[in-house]
Amino acid sequence: MKWLIKGATFLLIACLILAALGCADEEAKEIRVGVIGPMQFQMGEHHWMGATLAADEINAAGGIKVGDEYYKIKLVQVDSNELVSPADAATAAERAITVDRVDFLMGTIRSEGAMAVQEVAMDHQTIFMVCGSSETKMSDKVAQDYARYKYWFRVTPFNNTYLGMMNFTLVGMVAQQVVAQLHTAPKLAILAEKASWTDAIVAAAQTILPTKGIQVVSEVWRPSGQADDVTAELLAIKDSGANMIMTALSGTVGIAYGRTWGELQIPAASVGINVMAQADDFWENTNEYGNYEMTLNVYARDVELTEKTAAFMDAFIAEKGQTPTYNAGTYDALYILKEAIERADSLDQDNIVAFLEETDYIGTGGRFVFDAKHDVTWGPGYVTGVGVQWQNGELKGVWPPADGSWPTGGPSVTYAGIVAYQMPPWVIDYWT
Amino acid sequence: MSVLVAYATRSFRLLREEVFVLPARTVFLLICILLLLFPLISQEPFILRVFILAGIFAIFAASWDLLSGFTGQINFGHALFFGVAAYTAALLNWNLGLAPWATIPLGAAAAVLAGLVVGIPCLRLRGTYLAFATLAFPLILLGVVYAIPKITYGELGIYGIEPLAGSRVASYYIAIPSMIVLGFVMWKITDSKIGLVFHAIREDEVTARASGINTTRYKLLAFCLSGLFAGIAGGLYAHFVKAASPSTLELLLSFQVIIWAVFGGIATIYGPMAGVLILYPLTEFVLIRYLAVPSETRLLIFASIVLLVLLFMPQGLTTWLRDRTEKICPRCKLQNLAWRRKCRVCTAELG
Repeated sequence: MKWLIKGATFLLIACLILAALGCADEEAKEIRVGVIGPMQFQMGEHHWMGATLAADEINAAGGIKVGDEYYKIKLVQVDSNELVSPADAATAAERAITVDRVDFLMGTIRSEGAMAVQEVAMDHQTIFMVCGSSETKMSDKVAQDYARYKYWFRVTPFNNTYLGMMNFTLVGMVAQQVVAQLHTAPKLAILAEKASWTDAIVAAAQTILPTKGIQVVSEVWRPSGQADDVTAELLAIKDSGANMIMTALSGTVGIAYGRTWGELQIPAASVGINVMAQADDFWENTNEYGNYEMTLNVYARDVELTEKTAAFMDAFIAEKGQTPTYNAGTYDALYILKEAIERADSLDQDNIVAFLEETDYIGTGGRFVFDAKHDVTWGPGYVTGVGVQWQNGELKGVWPPADGSWPTGGPSVTYAGIVAYQMPPWVIDYWT
Repeated sequence: MSVLVAYATRSFRLLREEVFVLPARTVFLLICILLLLFPLISQEPFILRVFILAGIFAIFAASWDLLSGFTGQINFGHALFFGVAAYTAALLNWNLGLAPWATIPLGAAAAVLAGLVVGIPCLRLRGTYLAFATLAFPLILLGVVYAIPKITYGELGIYGIEPLAGSRVASYYIAIPSMIVLGFVMWKITDSKIGLVFHAIREDEVTARASGINTTRYKLLAFCLSGLFAGIAGGLYAHFVKAASPSTLELLLSFQVIIWAVFGGIATIYGPMAGVLILYPLTEFVLIRYLAVPSETRLLIFASIVLLVLLFMPQGLTTWLRDRTEKICPRCKLQNLAWRRKCRVCTAELG
């Protein structure tokens, strides 16, 4: 009898071990995605939160189907430390690829860090989807050396060229308001932080905007991205007689600008890019002087860019208590990757690249289609972004206009939740 | 054959009489051998990357020690030499297509020139004033880098230059032997008459001058030598990461080198090198990979380790260890094992 009990126990243990091994084998079927960003800062947190939401949804629905099998997504958080030391980003990327064995990378914010990560990812032929840098030099490399750089894609934001085009579109919209409400010809001053990404925008503004009937003040004000006082610049702009200011600001100078602009009631409507004004805390950080500040953005809380936007927005705000910034584009990036893997029906990087290039995906930010340089396409019918304005403590979508008009033609674009642009009252008082 | 035997015999005697007699030298030799054999144990790209960068930064930290540790000319802007060489090497490779074997020495030459440029105006300054003056130079160059983006590619830097070698292992076998050889050369310099003068300048410059030493010339020499070695490190770095960016000139790097040097023990050459070889891999992968420390607490642990070491070992880690294992002969000033009673050379009582 004893041998029977012993034999049964042995069999039971063997079955348990086999079952455990089977489970382990089951669990091993995962796709590892590295989310790389400055995790100590809001940008990195939004990278992570966007990807986490997408991964949870995809895994809850079964995972990613390759052949007859389903793979779960395993996210790996990679702290790039790029805001402090961009060189750390390359080491972090290599650690993620070679030690943590991630199959894909997505994220980054600072151009210098993103370019360093691009080199490492391309060395290892690993697909890297940028969700934070607009630097065109990265996509130019795809055109220059396709065989090496084909594994690189940009999901958010659009590249510098598209950013410039959208910026000018917003400027055009405000210029129309200047003519209509101030009864004067638009005269624009440019305030752009001293950084390479703004150089092309400034140069293009000086060339293109005068042909559109907008007079551009010859002097350009270029504060540091970290400047905490732009009073002198703003007073000089006031003296120049400009009734509009086009901003190109990504650093903390955007807060100093918004606060001083409202506090001094500079008689010029503000429009352009102010990354700090995209964040929820801009209102408090500017002591509410940032009212009427306008900037381009990827998302706006009440604007439904697609049918998927509202659900994503609600989920993100519920989890994080903040409106997502463009860094949360990792959400769309993960879905785009999932679709490409499933269409490729393979985990081979080269195969997936071929199918990523054919992406035509409606995400939370719009319709994602990559161009020949693997940049997300911007324009009517694609990803458009949204112009947002602070109106009494709320960041409202004000562009594309509710009538759906697009200045360069093309299909009309209308989004639910767009409200009318508001000219700052002190600007109206000064000019009328 | 007899020549080979003679060399082998001499080498063995040298090892027995000069290396194995002191634990610090034996450990140093063992670490060198281990580092050289490491790729036979693992060729994992990330670990090799960390060791290559640690090797490059070890040269850089030792070059700071050569200037600031030995002559007392505290340099808060040492990244200048590193950045000048990195940018020179990158620009020469990018624009003229020169290979790394040419760009790295030329980058080092540019760093020597930078040493002169910094050294000449700073000769009149001492202490805090000198430290803050040196701090200004990399910031000025950073401004220049941003001001002429058509040449320097501004804040993005120059990306995509030729790699140091075709493979990670080959890069390893360039960086690590470079570290060992250059470290040894720097140590020999400090052990020579020049090193003695450097010491004298640090301890009492007026007395050194009164003794007939042209301290101005020696201080300039220290700036140039330090620039040379830091420049080689900068060139190696640029070609290894295939980029030269403004981060090579940033304050963070200038301060980091001081932390490594002070942690390891200044005025030793090997101390700062040990500091880098311990702290860099520790923060880059040991804490995260083997001790599962979350990345956000990495900096906190790094700071705690440095603080604790400096609290209990104010002279630095290697100096603390050396003082407990070695003793200086009062007569001939040679190092001896701490537990010896008589000097290994002059047989004087060690006390």
